[in-house]
Amino acid sequence: MNATAERKMELTLPMVPDIEIAAARAASNLARELGMASESIDEMAHAMIEACINAREHSGSEDRRIYVRITGTSLGEGNSRIDIWISDHGKGFNLAEARSKREQTRGAVHKRGWGLSIIEAHMDEVGISSSADGTTIHMVKYGKRSES
Amino acid sequence: MTDELRVSVDRRGATGAILYTKGYINNVGGEEIANRAYELMDDGVRSLLLNLRDTKIVNSIGISILIEIIEKMIDKGGQIGFCCLTPVIHKTFQIMGLANYAKIFSDEETALKEMGLS
Repeated sequence: MNATAERKMELTLPMVPDIEIAAARAASNLARELGMASESIDEMAHAMIEACINAREHSGSEDRRIYVRITGTSLGEGNSRIDIWISDHGKGFNLAEARSKREQTRGAVHKRGWGLSIIEAHMDEVGISSSADGTTIHMVKYGKRSES
Repeated sequence: MTDELRVSVDRRGATGAILYTKGYINNVGGEEIANRAYELMDDGVRSLLLNLRDTKIVNSIGISILIEIIEKMIDKGGQIGFCCLTPVIHKTFQIMGLANYAKIFSDEETALKEMGLS
């Protein structure tokens, strides 16, 4: 299998309302170029939206910027892979603490704090690195070529 | 760039209504839906169907507001249903547990029948 990064995009976005839509549309366009099926693109877009909202709402970054990097790779036989990195230069957070808090409230009625669950449900791979210098979430979506 | 939400209402008798959404359900869109839903509840509506056929994107903040609307309707002894969801929005509703508190239907005709609004 010969996998090469065929598409690459980098965006620096201001933390303003609805900027997540711009990020999601950029990734969706790239995925469409690779022929990814629309349902996979929609899932990826919704995960990106949540990642950007988390950065905007919770990062506490002073530069008020979201850094987005997207690569699209054709894997052959109609298969493709999209890698997305969403970064901020905020204060970071304790991932274990966040996961523990989520486990404690699982099953209870709670309206907020679902972003990470949604991201993990919609993407195939998710990795998070966070420190006092900021947070990066790396998400991967695999797709098959659309039938249409 | 913004896919601003638009809401329209079709009243069904004294206690029923269909609320159609078009656009992005974020915090602003969610509040717009809530305002219209609360007006309808104040006007006696106890069976409310939200038809999301023209909504392709939601976020967790918008859905959290939808859950608040459901809770208020349940407090009033009413019911809320959703129909015409995209597969991804349906999946997102299930992740957030919304499906535990409201009925979800594939199409409007089925929803109206099941909710006694036809």
